[in-house]
Amino acid sequence: MDRNLKLLIYRNMIVSRRLEERIAELIKAGQVGGFMHPGVGQEALQCAAIAGLRPDDYLLYAHRGVAYWVARGIPLEKVLCDLAGREGGTNRGKGGVMRVVYPELGVLGESGTLGGCFPIATGAGLSIKVKGGDQAVLVFFGDGTSNRGTFHESLNLCAVRKLPVVFLCENNGWAVSMPTERSTAVRDIADRAKGYAIPGVVVDGNDPEKVFDAVGEALKRARSGAGPSLIEAKTYRLWGHWIGDPDTYRSREEVEKQWRRDPIPAFEARLAGEGLLNDAMRDEIDREARAKIDRAIEFMQKQSFPPPESALEDLFA
Amino acid sequence: MRTITYAQAIKEALVEEMRRDPTVILYGEDVANFGGIFRITSGLKEEFGDERVFDTPISENAFVGAGVGAALTGLRPVVELQFADFLFTTGDEIVLKAGMWRYAHGGAYKVPLVVRCPSGAAGVGPEHGQCPEAFFMHAPGLKIVSPSNAADAKGLLKSAIREDNPVLYFEHKLLYATKGEVPDDPDYLVPLGKAAIAREGDALTLVAISAMVPKALAVADRLAKEGHHIEVIDPRSLCPFDRPAIIESVKKTGKIVVAEESYRTLGVGAEIGAMLMEDALEYLDRPLRRVAIPDVPIPTAAILEQFVIPNEEKIYQACRELLA
Repeated sequence: MDRNLKLLIYRNMIVSRRLEERIAELIKAGQVGGFMHPGVGQEALQCAAIAGLRPDDYLLYAHRGVAYWVARGIPLEKVLCDLAGREGGTNRGKGGVMRVVYPELGVLGESGTLGGCFPIATGAGLSIKVKGGDQAVLVFFGDGTSNRGTFHESLNLCAVRKLPVVFLCENNGWAVSMPTERSTAVRDIADRAKGYAIPGVVVDGNDPEKVFDAVGEALKRARSGAGPSLIEAKTYRLWGHWIGDPDTYRSREEVEKQWRRDPIPAFEARLAGEGLLNDAMRDEIDREARAKIDRAIEFMQKQSFPPPESALEDLFA
Repeated sequence: MRTITYAQAIKEALVEEMRRDPTVILYGEDVANFGGIFRITSGLKEEFGDERVFDTPISENAFVGAGVGAALTGLRPVVELQFADFLFTTGDEIVLKAGMWRYAHGGAYKVPLVVRCPSGAAGVGPEHGQCPEAFFMHAPGLKIVSPSNAADAKGLLKSAIREDNPVLYFEHKLLYATKGEVPDDPDYLVPLGKAAIAREGDALTLVAISAMVPKALAVADRLAKEGHHIEVIDPRSLCPFDRPAIIESVKKTGKIVVAEESYRTLGVGAEIGAMLMEDALEYLDRPLRRVAIPDVPIPTAAILEQFVIPNEEKIYQACRELLA
């Protein structure tokens, strides 16, 4: 992976982490009322996977944090306005922070029901194939969501029609309070690929280079017309399911142990070892991230709320 | 004008729109190689090829949701459900995705999707014989049409395919073989949201939906012989609903009967009743009468099915009661 790409992924990870920390503060201070599912701990795989997309590819993100939007290049102030339900965002207060949408970069939005994303991704893949393009669709989902029936139906349909869709599972070990080993009959969700005769690979989701390579392989396969792939990135959700989750279902020992696998310091150490990052650069990247976030929050706080009667708009084209 | 069947009219609409617009695709269970279990789509795969006309696995959630995804990304999919009842199988994709995607994302995308839903009791029992329009009238963001004759079947389907919003297109199984005059103009369209006056009259307003329309017309003939000239209104679209058409008719007649193949509770007639209470109470000189399915599933045996499905006699009796 080239130097600039590594640093881009690193920068996006830092912006995402700092942004979620600030969002948590805003929510706890009652300054925004949004319903936010943080992705702290999963930024490496999210930023690395999206780094492999072309601007004309389609993206269906999952509900786990802000890194998808940061990595795709959606302006932070728009994300914050959606969170706050103000004007100036992407969905005019209709969908909150779980419905960030950005057609210019193929960000189709999000299904509120888990697993609703799979058929939508399948349809985007169908469009590409019918129109004869070489774009691809990347759809993120959690381990828990892989138990929806739509997962089976969509993987099978994509496989039989050879649709250019990459299914990327973020296995963070927990579906709210349900550990994967109690919810899911297979140890590796990637094993389910065998049921559809497509490639299924497991990667360390906290290693951005491994994720980038695996997603790159799958995107190549999709663009070539060979069909879908399933990638399982093993990771961990370091914070609760939502901001405010009492998180009583996991032992503190387990969570502390996982903090030692936090992908950010690990990637910093690797970049430093390769001579790509030093303390001064790291501080500068951090300062830039904080300044960018400050500006975005300031913008968000100046936006008005949508007129109440606009609740009646946007239903039909 | 030439006379063709309702089934041929549907096929003509599909063929014409697919020739006209390369972004129109058609898929569903058994639609390509076999031509559909009701034989509507035979020959389409041969004309338009496997990319645009194809068979799907038995996966309604995936392929209806894929219709939404394809619509978001520039196609105009026409998805066939084998039976309208399967709308319940794919309820998430219909109600929460097709109906809400545009709204939930602040109008960023349009969803030009048509879902064809063969409806109606035809000896096929509880899970293959419903007319479930009313369930989906309750869902925001969906347009709903239920043509009662060949000309409307064609004109409404062409409009639905050109529409930028999701449309549930209910085609009644017992109407497939019925014949009617159908224009062959390739731009013959019937607008969504516009009712038709199937028979003019002033003695009573009889609102009839889908396969109830021919029955209502037979009742109108019978009543005419008895000296009562009733008006038969065919809403054609249930969403948007042509409220003014019904209110105008009731202003003239003062009496209304609604005949539908839905369950009685919260059926189309219930909504019409509420609408009249709000906007037209002063014009009614008799109470509303509904002829609908008593709130039971549709049984399979003919003798039982015919007991619950509204027929000419039941509609006639409801009208007679108000005309007395």
